[in-house]
Amino acid sequence: MSVWSQGSPVVALGLEKLGDWADELLAGLAMTLYLYFVALTIGFLLGVGLALGRQYGGPVLSRIVTGYIEVVRGTPLLAQIFLIYVFPYSLNAWLTPDGPPFFMDIRWAIEIGGIRVLSHPILSSILALGLNSAAYQAEYIRGAIASIGEGQMLAARALGLSQMEGIRHVILPQAFRRMIPSWSNEASYLPKYTVVATFITVEDFFGMAKRAIAATFLSLETWLIVAAVYLVLITVISRVLERVYQKTKIPGL
Amino acid sequence: MNKMEPVLRVRDVWKSYGDLEVLKGISFDVMESEVKVVFGPSGSGKSTLLRCINYLDPPDRGDVFLRGVRLGEKDTDINEMRARIGMVFQHFNLFAHLRAIDNVAIGPEKVLGLSKEDARQRAMAALEHVKMADWADHYPAQLSGGQQQRVGIARALAMEPDVILFDEPTSALDPELIGEVLQVMLDLAKEGTTMVVVTHEMGFARAVANEMIFIDGGVVVERGTPEHFFRGADSERVRQFLHKLEELYGKEREELRDVDGE
Ligand SMILES: Nc1ncnc2c1ncn2[C@@H]1O[C@H](COP(=O)(O)OP(=O)(O)O)[C@@H](O)[C@H]1O
Ligand SMILES: [Mg+2]
Repeated sequence: MSVWSQGSPVVALGLEKLGDWADELLAGLAMTLYLYFVALTIGFLLGVGLALGRQYGGPVLSRIVTGYIEVVRGTPLLAQIFLIYVFPYSLNAWLTPDGPPFFMDIRWAIEIGGIRVLSHPILSSILALGLNSAAYQAEYIRGAIASIGEGQMLAARALGLSQMEGIRHVILPQAFRRMIPSWSNEASYLPKYTVVATFITVEDFFGMAKRAIAATFLSLETWLIVAAVYLVLITVISRVLERVYQKTKIPGL
Repeated sequence: MNKMEPVLRVRDVWKSYGDLEVLKGISFDVMESEVKVVFGPSGSGKSTLLRCINYLDPPDRGDVFLRGVRLGEKDTDINEMRARIGMVFQHFNLFAHLRAIDNVAIGPEKVLGLSKEDARQRAMAALEHVKMADWADHYPAQLSGGQQQRVGIARALAMEPDVILFDEPTSALDPELIGEVLQVMLDLAKEGTTMVVVTHEMGFARAVANEMIFIDGGVVVERGTPEHFFRGADSERVRQFLHKLEELYGKEREELRDVDGE
């Protein structure tokens, strides 16, 4: 007996109507995961750079980095994503006030195998989420770097390693291990924050759920499913990171 | 190489931190195979002096020469110079994420440019030298303080430096672990290793020091052979200090005996 057949609990609850939306919901989930991993990666790479800039960058660079982190963490993510999204529109309006031809084409899209992987809304979402996440990740990474005793860098420099080599071979390998517990906060919150992409027309999981509700009127049921999926996702992510942390623990410490 | 040219030449080194003048014109030479013991009260600037010598903390004034080449000169690569000056720290400062062997191999590999295999071989030889070869695969946190310090010495040795600086290498150790580290240092001294040792282990100084330098208030108060100091130093300050050391260490030995007696 399939879950969609007569008499199953799914049908009893009227969920079979949602079944018609399964493909769309799955495509939305794929988009959400895609935004998540790309933004997390960008945020991590940029976050490492920001943390190093703040810790070792000298007075000017470290102030600039601190300013960036404060601004990003002090303003709403939704405002940030709208800002990035409307920027080319505003630029067009400003540079070509009499209408087309536009300075910048906004309706571009890149498709791979019929699946839209990059477009102005998707790129805006990735940038907004990545730039935002970088500010938070930078603070976790910097906290881990700062917790490493001064003696480690001193010993590295005394051997003749340059500061960059000391950072690369001595500081970062230890910092990456130490930051996992606090960093996993960011890694597990970020999937939830990807919902902002919905507001700039990206068809992510949240957006697809809204469309499914508009068609089926099953709002409570749909939101419960959405919540459950996010919960599973976040639980898996934190479990995996916990495992990674245990596996990379330094023996004896 | 000219045997009469000092390995290390410290010339009128000054260093302040803000308003605090820590070093006020320190000078001495270290010859090939010489063991120089530096001692003095806590806060007198001994650690600062060692950090000035290898430019981890460049002096405000004065010069340091390694085999005639001035450190801090524009066309001398400071990292290359530091690679030739070993350093052993009071708190070991082993790289916490690396096994003993990798702690010792990282310098030869990343700084001297040896192949991974050659660096490991050299590291293993250095660990054997300090009798830590059996512990090569252990992480620092799995080793006792004495073992960690011996790995720290091996890390310096593996670079085959011109001189090794020791900053109170035994003062963070439990009394029963001091012996094994001092033994390694005595062996090194007898093999002709050029060493500058900040220590209050007067037994070590008596056994191998060519010259002892007493530092207080950022200046050299008195210098001379061990015999000179133990016969009776010229300065009242030094005599008092040596007397206090004797009391302190005497007491420690009694405490040890008490523990043994139980
Ligand atoms: N990086 C630093 N910044 C400020 N003050 C320092 C620094 N390093 C050492 N000092 C000060 O310099 C003095 C000498 O310190 P140190 O060289 O560690 O003495 P010692 O090793 O003889 O005990 C102390 O008063 C210490 O507080
Ligand atoms: Mg000291």
